[in-house]
Amino acid sequence: MRMRRSVLILLLFLLFIIQGTLLPWLLPNAWEMRIIPNLVFIVILFVTVYHHRHTALILGLAFGMLHDVVFYGRILGAHSFAMGLSAYLIGLVFQLPRAPLPLMMSVVLLGSLLENSILFGIYSVFNLNREPYNWALLNHMLPTMLFHFAIGLLLYIPVRRQLELLKKETQKEESA
Amino acid sequence: MLKLFKLFNNKRLFILLITLVMFIVVMGFSLGTRKSLSWPENFLRDTTGFVQNLFYKPAGYVAGFFQDIANLHDLAEENEQLKILAAQYARDKAIYNFTKAENERYKERLEFKEAQKKLYDYELHIAQVISLTTEPSNSSVVIDLGSKDGIKPNMSVISSEGMVGVISQVSNFTSTVKLMTMMDINDPNSQPPIAGTALNKEQNSFGMIESYDPQTGLLEMNKIPVGDPIAVGDTIISSGGGGVYPRGLTIGTVKSVQEGAYGYTSTALIEPTANFQDWKDLFVVFTEERAE
Repeated sequence: MRMRRSVLILLLFLLFIIQGTLLPWLLPNAWEMRIIPNLVFIVILFVTVYHHRHTALILGLAFGMLHDVVFYGRILGAHSFAMGLSAYLIGLVFQLPRAPLPLMMSVVLLGSLLENSILFGIYSVFNLNREPYNWALLNHMLPTMLFHFAIGLLLYIPVRRQLELLKKETQKEESA
Repeated sequence: MLKLFKLFNNKRLFILLITLVMFIVVMGFSLGTRKSLSWPENFLRDTTGFVQNLFYKPAGYVAGFFQDIANLHDLAEENEQLKILAAQYARDKAIYNFTKAENERYKERLEFKEAQKKLYDYELHIAQVISLTTEPSNSSVVIDLGSKDGIKPNMSVISSEGMVGVISQVSNFTSTVKLMTMMDINDPNSQPPIAGTALNKEQNSFGMIESYDPQTGLLEMNKIPVGDPIAVGDTIISSGGGGVYPRGLTIGTVKSVQEGAYGYTSTALIEPTANFQDWKDLFVVFTEERAE
């Protein structure tokens, strides 16, 4: 009965693995420093819009923490906080089960900007970066947004189908 | 006061506050230097490391295959250059062996301590990259050697081109490399500054490589004394002073030399030789244990 949920979690884990291992090979070298792929977060944005913001919050916290622990260079919890909070905030505003494609795409753009800005904020608070915000915006946040937009388009149909199935399952569970 | 209690009765707000405090505690705690990781971290890192290992290597082989096809016509030229280099190496090796033997004899005569003799010995251990992130404020690479292989924090990591960074965290079977691009003089946990010197001017040249500027992509070498012969185009290597970094690791080439912030010493801007892209194999530098 909880089949669909574990499928979703497995999918997120697979995307996490792919973004650390396969994507650096696929991206052209010149873009590597400018695009910071976060495929997991795109799917979490889908979850927050089409499913529920609380699920997205938990997923964001968990997978953010996974990212933090695996790529532990300076600080733990930054991604966890940024992904959880921005997924929740986006869900608070845009949680529409029938949202059309254009709206979802603007949510992807907005969400990745929000997430990167929160991350930037955390690093600034702990005095870990010296660059001004507008430089960071042009250097990596905007390219990342566009990249996420393209990936969002690719993932739209399969992820939405998964979420519909998940919804049906939870409804059945509730009525039973 | 009563109103405040009512506010805290709200379950959601309470959870929110607790989470916020937890996060600040975790971040503050993780910011400090840590000798080792806790078991949940070890477990998570090693299991994901195992899965990532399954993905990264095949992807690298496939990508490398296509790259090889593209590079095929450069191969003849490269081969010729390598032959010349090999010939030069054979000659230098003979000279090196003579000098080394002579040096050892002098050391014996001067009655060097065993520890002093081994001061500059180091060996390289090859490590496979298993995943990476290029985020500007936290660029790190995960490699497949861990504490079971004898890795310790702050060991230097190099690629075939030059120095890449230092080990920041170690779990049982994987460890994280903090790239040199994270070097920052304001960050208390940044890797320690590298004592550097220019190749072929080792006796007269000195400077501390202290920070990296992501906007220009150059390293900054400060505290170069007056009258230092350092010039544009020099190759900068680590000098081995200070003990953290072994001697002779290639770091970069000098792009420009300017007057330093206080006018007395000068500052050199260095372009790193490692390009921080297309990772395959890295080498971890194992030095002799030193008493601390």
